[in-house]
Amino acid sequence: MAACAELPAGGFVFENCQRNKFLESQGYKVPKAYKTGTTICGLVYKDGIVLGADTRATEDTIVADKNCAKIHYISSNIYCCGAGTAADTEMTTQLISSELELHRLNTGRQPRVCTANRLLKQMLFRYHGYIGAALVLGGVDSTGPHLYSIWPHGSTDKLPFVTMGSGSLAAMATFEDRYKADLSRDEAMKLVRDAICAGIFNDLGSGSNVDLCVITKDKVDYIRPYEEANKKGVRQGKYRYDRGTTVVISSEVKKVELEVIDTEVRAVPMET
Amino acid sequence: MFLTRSEYDRGVNTFSPEGRLFQVEYAIEAIKLGSTAIGIQTNEGVVLAVEKRVTSPLIEPTSIEKIMEVDKHIGCAMSGLIADSRTLIDRARVEAQNHWFTYNENMSVESVTQAVSNLALAFGDDDPDPGAMSRPFGVALLLAGIDKDGPRLFHMDPSGTFIQYDAKAIGSGSEGAQQALQEQFHKSITLKDACKSALTILKQVMEEKLSATNVEMATVTTDRLFQMLSKDELEAIIKDL
Amino acid sequence: MEAMAMMPYQQEQTNHIERPIQHRFSPYDFNGGTVLAIAGEDFAVIASDTRLMTGFSILARDVPKTTQYTTNTVVGSCGFHGDVLTLTKVIQTRLKMFTYLHQKEMDTSSVAAMLSTVLYYRRFFPYYVYNIVAGIDTEGKGCVYSFDPVGSYERETYRAGGSASSMLQPLLDNQIGMKNQEGAKQVPLAKAKAVALVKDVFTSAAERDIHTGDAVCIHVITKQGTTKETYPLRRD
Repeated sequence: MAACAELPAGGFVFENCQRNKFLESQGYKVPKAYKTGTTICGLVYKDGIVLGADTRATEDTIVADKNCAKIHYISSNIYCCGAGTAADTEMTTQLISSELELHRLNTGRQPRVCTANRLLKQMLFRYHGYIGAALVLGGVDSTGPHLYSIWPHGSTDKLPFVTMGSGSLAAMATFEDRYKADLSRDEAMKLVRDAICAGIFNDLGSGSNVDLCVITKDKVDYIRPYEEANKKGVRQGKYRYDRGTTVVISSEVKKVELEVIDTEVRAVPMET
Repeated sequence: MFLTRSEYDRGVNTFSPEGRLFQVEYAIEAIKLGSTAIGIQTNEGVVLAVEKRVTSPLIEPTSIEKIMEVDKHIGCAMSGLIADSRTLIDRARVEAQNHWFTYNENMSVESVTQAVSNLALAFGDDDPDPGAMSRPFGVALLLAGIDKDGPRLFHMDPSGTFIQYDAKAIGSGSEGAQQALQEQFHKSITLKDACKSALTILKQVMEEKLSATNVEMATVTTDRLFQMLSKDELEAIIKDL
Repeated sequence: MEAMAMMPYQQEQTNHIERPIQHRFSPYDFNGGTVLAIAGEDFAVIASDTRLMTGFSILARDVPKTTQYTTNTVVGSCGFHGDVLTLTKVIQTRLKMFTYLHQKEMDTSSVAAMLSTVLYYRRFFPYYVYNIVAGIDTEGKGCVYSFDPVGSYERETYRAGGSASSMLQPLLDNQIGMKNQEGAKQVPLAKAKAVALVKDVFTSAAERDIHTGDAVCIHVITKQGTTKETYPLRRD
């Protein structure tokens, strides 16, 4: 009885691994996870960090979500873009976010970006790359703006501008061309937008809109959408069906028998 | 002109100084030794008629075949060395089938004739193409059929030259027969009349007495396509002559 | 049966040793492309998108996969673009040879028959190409022929092929074939309606298929000849 109320011990359950491997060997398909073929990037500018992401989520060659959010909340001063397996980026950032929140409550200090980075890389390293999360972590803390890229196996880079995902080459090309130290806020946002757009238009895994997140010492601007890079196509024809187009195979009306157990008359005061 | 044999007779592909290919011309001459064959084109269809030389009472007349089916919609009458025609007919049949296989449509009469004529000049001493011979073919063909342009009649000789005709006669009696055709043919001739004319003319040029056993006749029409006439049908026409 | 099923379980223990994997050159690529054709009473519409891609990259945004073969025959081919180019070249030479030899233009039905034989000729090293032939038949009616890469073909009234075909076909079944509609009347499809429908289905395909986009090239074939129109799609 008490067992069902117990909290899970934490971590992943591996008990079905052997069964799944057997099923796979018998020709059964392994269920596929959404992979966000993605363009994400970030840069450090004069007053802080700009993070950017596209909004397309794909499942093989099909667009699964045309407007998904890939910039995840870590803490009030730190955000993180995710590429790779959607569930992994989602859960990993949430997990680290909650850990950091506990840390904040325990220490009474605003979390630092390097802390978030260390927690993320340690977790990813523990899982040997099986957690398919490629991240761009950015934030501003007491020591200034910081930007990291984190790879699924747990390696990290701390750089002034980074890109990740299937559109990373397109985005990086834009950064390599035009990045300068100490950009203004507008210049930085324009450059990140252009980098994401390069991914949206030149990488098939990326598409739809541009989301931006501008983090400064005392303010975060999460702009979603920053730009609708692609308008939904307009249809020429009308595709409404006439009433009765769907066939009714059979219909039946059943009377619900209710037994009157008790009746009561009450005076209700009028609302004034 | 053919009486003196010259050194240009030796190679089948050698032009004489006057620009002649003697072997080809001799082959055309060979046709004039063959039995007479007639083809008439009408608006309803084409008729082919040939004489069969039954030179001995011991010959089984039905074993002499001088009209053959090339495809459902094309027939062919011949005169000259009938054995040579086997190769040509074979090619015609293969080409027609191949065309149907590839394009899912009937091959036109002209195209079949073209295909056969390609073989006619493919003779030579060295490395002949498959089906080609070392000498010219000694046979002339009358190809009759129905295609998109309606009934069509083509004549092809051993030089590979082919020409479309309204009516054409080949073989030993061709000179007289052609003359007669010119007189009798008109654009609005019916198929029935054309059948009659063909037999009448054959009758005139044949040495033996014409009967249902020593002639062969076939028609190609839009609805019945290639059809050999039976002995009864032949007799019915002969009776009307 | 039981024993058979158990086997892999027992092997499991020793199966951890990684075997060498043989890597082989693949002679094929997939360059995307969606083709769609509709046959009307006296017209045919055939369309393709104009994107050329490989993997996650776009190679070109302005390459229609349709080729005009004769005055009233247009063929849409997609799959591996290298094979598409070679196949269309082969067909075009054959068509030229045919006109020289037979003194006439090939009928749409014959183009279809010939394409089938050309494809089947490569039964064991196929052209990786999905073809749809559209045109006017000998009776003046619109016709559409669809093919598989090894030459099986059939005449149909509408057909989608290539990358987004599995999205378009059910829509056409419903909108043209009037499938799964109770009491819907089969009305003859008007030319303008067909073209509008083509634009709409391609617009929809571009929303969800990552391979389809940039623009759609639409040919309308009638007895008088063909007209061509390009309509923009999303470019992401």
